[in-house]
Formats: sequence, structure tokens, C-alpha cells
Amino acid sequence: MSMEISPQMFKRLEHDGQPAEETLCPSVGYRQNVWLRLKQNKLAMTGIIIIVLLALLALVGPHLSAHSYEEQDLLMVNQPPGGSYWFGTDALGRDLFARVWYGARISLTIGLLTSVICMVIGVLYGGISGYLGGRVDEIMMRFVEVIYSIPFLLYVILLMVLLEPGLKSIFIALGIVYWQNMARIVRGQVLVLKEQEYIYAARLLGAGTWRILLRHLIPNTMGPIIVSMTLLVPEAIFTEAFLSFLGLGVSAPMASWGVLASDGIQGLRNYPWQLFFPALFISITMLAFNFVGDGLRDALDPRLRR
Amino acid sequence: MKRILLALMVLAAFVLAGCGDDKTKDTAGKANGPQLIRYNVGTEPKTLDPAKSTGSPEATIELQMLDGLTRYDANQEIKRAVAESWDISKDSLTYTFKLRDAKWSNGDLVTAHDFVYSWLRAMAKETASEYAYQFFYIKGAEDYNSGKGKKEDVAIKALDDKTLQVVLNAPAPQFLGLTAFQTYFPVNQKVVEGNPNWFTDPKTYVCNGPFKMVSWEHNQKIVMEKNPDYWDAKSVKLEKLEIYLIENLDTSFNMFKNGQLDQMNEIAAQELTALKDSKELKIMPDASVYFYRFNVTRKPFNDVKVRKALALAIDRKALVESVTKGGQKQAYAFVPFGFKDADGKDFRRNGDNYFKEDLEEAKRLLAGAGFPDGKGFPRATIMFNTQGNHQKVAEAIQQMWKKNLGIEVTIQNVEWQVYEDRETKLDYDIERAGWSPDYLDPMTFIDMFVTNGGNNKTGWSNREYDRLVSEGKSTGDQKVRMESMHRAEKILMDEMPVTPLFFYTHPIMIKENLKNVIVPPFATDADFKWAYVE
Repeated sequence: MSMEISPQMFKRLEHDGQPAEETLCPSVGYRQNVWLRLKQNKLAMTGIIIIVLLALLALVGPHLSAHSYEEQDLLMVNQPPGGSYWFGTDALGRDLFARVWYGARISLTIGLLTSVICMVIGVLYGGISGYLGGRVDEIMMRFVEVIYSIPFLLYVILLMVLLEPGLKSIFIALGIVYWQNMARIVRGQVLVLKEQEYIYAARLLGAGTWRILLRHLIPNTMGPIIVSMTLLVPEAIFTEAFLSFLGLGVSAPMASWGVLASDGIQGLRNYPWQLFFPALFISITMLAFNFVGDGLRDALDPRLRR
Repeated sequence: MKRILLALMVLAAFVLAGCGDDKTKDTAGKANGPQLIRYNVGTEPKTLDPAKSTGSPEATIELQMLDGLTRYDANQEIKRAVAESWDISKDSLTYTFKLRDAKWSNGDLVTAHDFVYSWLRAMAKETASEYAYQFFYIKGAEDYNSGKGKKEDVAIKALDDKTLQVVLNAPAPQFLGLTAFQTYFPVNQKVVEGNPNWFTDPKTYVCNGPFKMVSWEHNQKIVMEKNPDYWDAKSVKLEKLEIYLIENLDTSFNMFKNGQLDQMNEIAAQELTALKDSKELKIMPDASVYFYRFNVTRKPFNDVKVRKALALAIDRKALVESVTKGGQKQAYAFVPFGFKDADGKDFRRNGDNYFKEDLEEAKRLLAGAGFPDGKGFPRATIMFNTQGNHQKVAEAIQQMWKKNLGIEVTIQNVEWQVYEDRETKLDYDIERAGWSPDYLDPMTFIDMFVTNGGNNKTGWSNREYDRLVSEGKSTGDQKVRMESMHRAEKILMDEMPVTPLFFYTHPIMIKENLKNVIVPPFATDADFKWAYVE
């Protein structure tokens, strides 16, 4: 049997000016897609709203109170919440409402800045290590492991002694401690991506290492980077609170949430609100950032793309 | 069904057994040792070697186990202890002590040779005792300690087993009281020479005091029981004494509330208001002063106007009433209450206050020093050792200076070792300090600030002050001594290298059924020799 192909077998397609697939499903960009899926995640949206609210209150909160965060009234120490002191006062008669929101500024700044510092160091380090590979990769990753094996607290305390306690040294200390995770994640991603065809293509076209790293590899690892940044914010806030507990935090009369909680615990038996409010906001912030982080992870994961 | 029943029965049996256990424990506790006191001294002692220990927790523990020549009674009068009697020569320089028949817990006799040995050991250069200077009243002691003199030239002699003779450099009425101080405690020569680490082990801790050590769990507790070989054992009613070594104030307070402690020392300031009506809270006198040092070798604190302006702009009343809250007294002079003047009245009451708070004057002084309204004042730092109350006091003062004078200072807390190191090297601007007397005489406060004195730590020097101090030290005539100390104190307050803030109190928690516990105003925190449980 033979089959003859004749022009009669073909029929001209009516051309409507649209590619066929797109009639089936409207085109949705990557970012839009992520946003759409994030919007459907109720927990993540709650988290975002809470973070925005907290940030707003951190900006305007201290001005809402009639008292400044550092103003002491030694005749009004340890007042319970109510009246002109909405959250009560501390052991030196300072308004806790103003102090909580002033503390929010410091704590949120610490959280955000630390994660940005970690991102910059971690992405560059991990990117270079993963892309260059071979002996460079070996040495760079062993170095990370060595740092990783030093107990965190020992390391931070040493740094704080060297740097004199204060806001700046907290950034540096936390930045130095937390970038390693970021570096590992980025390296893992880059190791996979650098075997992709488009990277070969770019290299064939004569792109240099830096161009490939910065224009092709890193933008494509942005998903995991953003997720781990979001999760790093609460971790940094919590670590700062923990350092304040040990007396290594910001110096008085400035107060982060950690300092407030640490002061508050001394009066736990008789003046519980002094611990309650800072602890409440530390918890809320940690939850909110964790919800957003989880939501982002789900939304950014291409395998879950519908 | 059967199974469930069985399970219930087993459960009930456990519950009942549990109850039974509790009861037997309770009654057993009461029957076995009602004469037991559990006391928290607040920290693990750094050493229990009396020659080397310096802190009051260490002294408190040692006082229960060792007996010096003398011992303070409940009224803070010096009473005979190992010394049965003493004789002071007419020129007040030679002290001859007659010792009683006292025994060490290993059966040896406590002899005059033990005292000679212990004191020479404590002042020897090799011992490196921080408190060696407590012996410098004795002829030849300072030279021996510095390595310039010989051991044989120190004027401490055992005339026989029962007679100890000491010759002083100059009359020192406080010397008798010092023989009750920790550095003057005796140690057993044979034991110490046989085992240089004798003081680390309860088994080798040979003592001559009311109690002896049974066990020492580090950072937990030291258990002592009555020492049957003690010369005054009939006065000791307590059978067992447990000294807890818990640092955390909160833990200690919880233990007291739960009935696991009978007495404790420090109470967090945040608890005091709520305890105001408690019968278990006792505010005991404490002859110590809380003050700030200025580093006069640094600008702008080299200017007396700046120092005075800062001192006058602190609201001490608010400080003691709202921040420390333990009934402390505002201090406008350096020597605390509780020291006898030449006329038998209180040294402080006779001396009165040397300055008072005055904002206008403070502002005027600050302007006179070149900083009108605090403008141009360099950023100074208040340094203090890490502790909750010091932080609060510093924060309050920081705010007072900002509000009253327009001066911004930062505050910095540092660990104790760093703090001591930096104050000795004069590496600070302003620092928090406290001073507790070594003996009951104002000289223990006044002689701190002589030029280059070991406890001066401000860089301050004043020739007239030095002269008054050495005048006060050269005579036994109380009238002359007290007069020169009053005048020295006035100079100190006029020049203000230090500004006093308040006189301490000693708030303690003590169960109401504890009787005859002595809580001295200085040196040690408690004496349980005569204590008992009702």
C-alpha cells in the first residue's frame, strides 16, 4: 500500500491573527502568577497585612503617645495600662506604648537590614562558589563549614566585645553570622542552573563570568533567596532579643523589643504587662513573617504552577 | 470492665502511696532536724581560704566555721572569742592577747602559734592576698608584704602557746575590731602545710568555729553541722545549716516563697513595693555608700565646677524612693550612718550634710566651666558593672542630667573583671562604685582617697587631705582623729572627685520563726552562731 500526498489533503486554516494556544488560556507573567497564588493564601495575606500595620505603627506609634520613649516620670513608675499610659509604665516611669513602638522601629530595622546584608554577602559568595566550581568551590564551602561549626553565641559575644555594643555592631554581628545559610542555598541553585542550555548559549555568545552570574543565574535563583530572606527577618529579631537578654543589645535609653522584654521580666511577678506587650509583638511579628515566608515559598515554586 | 477497675485500683494505690510518702517526709523532717536553717548567700564562693577571700559571701561562709580572736555580737560590740582577755599598753601600741582553751575540729589546740602562722601567711607576698593591707597597722607588715622587710621583723609574737603579742606602727583604735575580720581568721598550721588545697574539700576543712562543713556541692549548696569541739558549743542551738549558693534572684525568691529557704539576702527592686506589708521582709542597716567616681585626669571632669554641677543636678530623693525602693537614705556626704564619733554620737549626724541639690547653682557652675546649658559638653560615659539595679540608677541619672543640664551621657555595662580592670587603669569618665567598711571606724572610708591610694581610682590628689588622713592615723586620741576625719570629709565633698548618691540598706527575707540571726551592717551578711528555729 502506498500513500500519495496530494494538495487536496490540506486545508487552509482560517487565520484570526491569534496564536492558537492563547485562545485557550490567557497569558500570565511569572510575577503576576506568583501574586495570584499568594493572594489565595489567606495566612500569607494576613501576614502581609500585619507587617504593613506594624511598620505603620512603628512610624507613627511613638508620636501617638503624649510621652516620649525616653521621658521618665519617677512618680509614675510601674503604672498598669490605662489612662494616659495605654500600655502602662516601666520601672522608671517611662511610657510603654511609646517604648514598644520605638522598639518596633529598632527591631524591624534590625530584622530587615540584617537580612539584606546576609543576602548581599550570601548571594555573591554562594554564586561565585557554585558557578566557578572545582577547587574554588571546595575551599569556599569548607570555609563556610568551619565558620558554621563555631558556636553562634561565642562568636557573637566575641564580636560584641571587639565592636562595643550598639546598633551598628548588632547589624555586623548578625550579618556575619547568618549569611552562610544564604550562601549554601544560592550555591545549590547555581550548581543546577549552570548546566542549563541557556547558560551554555550565553557562554557561546561570549558572555563573561560576571555577566552570566549577575544577569542569568542570580535572577533565576531569586525565588529561594526571597523566601529565605523573609524567614531570616524574624530570626534576626529573635536573636537580637536574645542578645539583649544577655545585656549585649542596644544601649539605653534606646530600646528594642528584646531590651523591653528583658527589663519586663524583672517585674514579671508584680507588673506582668511590662513583659506582656513586648513579648506579644515579638510573637506577632515572628508569626507574620513566617506566614509570608511560607506563602512565598509555595507561590514561587514552579512545580506548583497551574 | 475488670481491666478498668484494676487500672483504677492501681492508680489509687499510687496516689495513696504518694500521699503517705509526703506525710512521712514532712514529719520526718520535723522530727529529725527542727534546728535547721536554709540560707541563700547568693553566689558560689571564689575561695574559702580566709587569707585570700575578699567578698562578703565568702566572709559570711567562713564566719560560720572559723572564730577569730574576737567576734561581733548582736549589738555590733566586739566580744571575746578565741581571746579570753587582752591587754593594751599605755601608748596603745602593744596588744597582748590571752587565748582560751579552744580546739580545732580535728582535736588540735588552737594556739598563739596558729595565729602567728596564719597572719604571716596572709601578709606574705607569695600569698598575694588582696586584703594584705588589712595588716599594715602591724609593725613590719607592710615591708614584709612588699618584699622589703623580713618575716622575723613583723611584730607578731607567740610568747607561749596561750599568749599572742602584737605591736602596731601607730595607735589604731580599729585594730581590735579587725581581729574579727575574715583576713585575721586563724588556720591550722599543720593542716595547711600538709595540704595547700585544704580549703577546697569539706574533709580537710579543719575549723574552730560554731559549725563545720559536711559537704560542698558547687553552685548548689554547702551543708554544715554544729561543731561539737567548738569552745562555746553550748551557745550553738542550731544543729544544721544549709548555705545555698544560688545567684539568680528570681530562683532564690521562688524558693523562699515555696518554703525551700528560710532566709535570703538580695531582693530585686521590682519586688520590694509588693512586699511592703510582708512581715518576712526586713530592711536591715548597712553601713555602705553608693557613689559615682569622676575620672579627674580626663576633661572636663578635671574641673571641679563640672563635677559639682553634675552632683547637684541629681534628684537623690526620687532615686531612692522610685528606683532602688529599699529604704535607702539620700547621701550628701561620704561616710554613712552607724559610726561612733568622739562624743559617742553618730559621726554622720555630727558631720551633717555637705551639699544639697540645687539646679540653679548647678546650671551656673556648668556655665562657669564653659558649657552654658550643656552646650559643647563632650559625650561622656557612665560605666557600671552588669546588674539590674545599677542599670536603672544609671538610666535615671542619665535622664536627670539631660533634663536638668542639657548634657547627654551614654551608659555602658561591663563585666565585673573588665570593670575592675578599667577603674584601676583610670579608663573611664564616670563610674558607679560602692564601698563597705572593713571595720567600724570612719577611717575605712576617709583613707580611700589619699594620693595614689589603692582605692582612690579617681586620679584625685589633695595635699591638705593627705595631711589630715595621716594626722588621723598617727594618734589614738579619738577627739583629734575624728576632727581630722570630719575636716578631710569636707575637703572631699568640696572637691567632689566622687559624688555620693545614697547610703545602702540591706533588705532581707527571713521567716518569722528564725530567732537570733545576726545581720551585721558590714563585712558579713549573717552570723548564725546564736540562731535557732522556733
